[in-house]
Amino acid sequence: MRRTRESTPSSPDDRAGINRQFRPVGKGSNSLPFPEMDCLLNFGIRIKDRHMWALFVGPGVLLLILVLGFPAVASLSYSIKPEQAGTVSYTLSNYVNLLKDPFFKKTFWNTVVFVFLSVASHMFLGLTVALVLNSALPAKPLFRIIALLPWVVPDVVAGIIWKWMYDPIYGSLNDFLLRIGLFDSPVEWLSNPKLALFSVVLVNLWRGFPFVMLILLAGLQAIPQYLYEAAEIDGASKWQLFYHITIPGLRKMIVVALALDTVWEVRRFGLIQAMTQGGPGILTEVLSTYTYKQYFQFFRFEYASAISVVMTIVLLFVSLPYILMISQEE
Amino acid sequence: MEFTSLLPRGVFSKAIVWVFLIVVCLYCLFPFAWMFSTSLKTESEAFKIPPTWIPIDLTVDSYIGIWVRKNFGTYFFNSTVISLSTALLSTFFGALAGYGFSRFFFNGRRFLIGFFLATQMLPGVLLVGPYFRILSKVGLYDTRTGLVIAFLTICLPFSTWMMKGFIDKVPDELDQAAMVDGCSRMGIFFKIILPIVAPGMVATILFGFLLAWGDLLWALCLTSSEPMITVTLGIARTVGEFRIIWPMLMAGSLVGGMPAIILYIFLQRLLVQGLTAGAVKE
Repeated sequence: MRRTRESTPSSPDDRAGINRQFRPVGKGSNSLPFPEMDCLLNFGIRIKDRHMWALFVGPGVLLLILVLGFPAVASLSYSIKPEQAGTVSYTLSNYVNLLKDPFFKKTFWNTVVFVFLSVASHMFLGLTVALVLNSALPAKPLFRIIALLPWVVPDVVAGIIWKWMYDPIYGSLNDFLLRIGLFDSPVEWLSNPKLALFSVVLVNLWRGFPFVMLILLAGLQAIPQYLYEAAEIDGASKWQLFYHITIPGLRKMIVVALALDTVWEVRRFGLIQAMTQGGPGILTEVLSTYTYKQYFQFFRFEYASAISVVMTIVLLFVSLPYILMISQEE
Repeated sequence: MEFTSLLPRGVFSKAIVWVFLIVVCLYCLFPFAWMFSTSLKTESEAFKIPPTWIPIDLTVDSYIGIWVRKNFGTYFFNSTVISLSTALLSTFFGALAGYGFSRFFFNGRRFLIGFFLATQMLPGVLLVGPYFRILSKVGLYDTRTGLVIAFLTICLPFSTWMMKGFIDKVPDELDQAAMVDGCSRMGIFFKIILPIVAPGMVATILFGFLLAWGDLLWALCLTSSEPMITVTLGIARTVGEFRIIWPMLMAGSLVGGMPAIILYIFLQRLLVQGLTAGAVKE
């Protein structure tokens, strides 16, 4: 036996159950009672039980390398090829061009603004709704279903519904705002250069906050009730409970939600493609739509690959804390 | 703890909570209501100023139109076949790998887990270019098979992670007991673990299905001909047309989003469990 089962009952430093609560279930357990036992496979092949992992993990890993690793490396190698086949076979000129390209710069900043606003608003609304839904309310399951609907529909569908709602003349949003007297004249949601990106973010808020809410709600429900009871007996106020129990208890879920949401928002494609296709001009162009255009409208494969490589580096960098946190726990 | 207890006690704070919830619900539901209402309008009514909120002459022409005048039947068939195959394949391989990660502590396990997690983070646009070239070369461009292979890249890491979460919850004493009784590893996996995590598998299949169903990028890059395109691409193409017939587009969007919505409403508890077991651990 290479690892032994950890003592599951609360250890002395297992303060108030927090540690136990967030300890992964699989960790420390070892299900290899007979690590040296031979497993008989077809064709008379024998394999020791402690080596059996290769049979389980192997197919998935090989498949992933084949369908994902290989193309990713291919993309990397496109990105260092010159756009015109010439004397050099490898060059960094694509990356140099990238830095000179004002469209790329604008697109990059659009992405930063889009992702930052989206994630911040998701966290804010998601946390608020999760907190409200975590209290004893009648019809809570119904609220939860309703709140999750925007997250379930395909990106394209979400984009199209809102494009139609945003329509300055025939759309319902302007009609509503005019009727309640908030504006005197129709707002050009998607064609006003100052508004376009924010209008897209508003749709993305609608679409993305349910996931954050879901994760945080699960986190809230995992905080043991007795922590609150104990603290209340010790005379903690409601706000103290919130700051000293709820927020620390949620910390891990917040990291997870932040990381996954950020990655998803950077990759968001269908929503913008369906709504604005990056327009007006390039005001709502983000990295994913820009790369797509470089690939399939301008056919600049090498250049597009360079953009996507930059994007990948950014994404891996952003998600590194999450990846490290999860794999450390394992 | 009840968040509402943070607010001052009394009728007033209760009212705030309810008003907030109702506003959030409206925000969530109103676009769907507008889509539904538009889909029941005639084309001329959709372009009325000011817009009518409830259709005056109700018609289901749009719902017939998408099947008759557009090839929605084909799109639907393609999407279903592609999403289902992707979901089943990735759940099967994901379950295998999930079991391996859950039960065996081998050298390099942490690295491989990191690898699976990192692959979840790659942007699709990194892969579409090479995919376009490779699939064209091997004659899989503009085929359903090509798309299934491509979707595996999105679904497999997630499936593995979700299935590992579910299998972690099955006590390994079961495995040990079975081994003492002479069951082989493969036997344990297929006869004991899979039946126990069946609900988890359903959730994983559902999640993979939703991922594949909702995608636009890959479908846009890897298919082109009318008989091969998916629902999402079909809808997206309609937007690009010279004259957009909004009621029909809304009907199409509603029908295209329906499978996701229905599956979700029936299986939402499972999906929530799956996401919190795999993507997030308690």
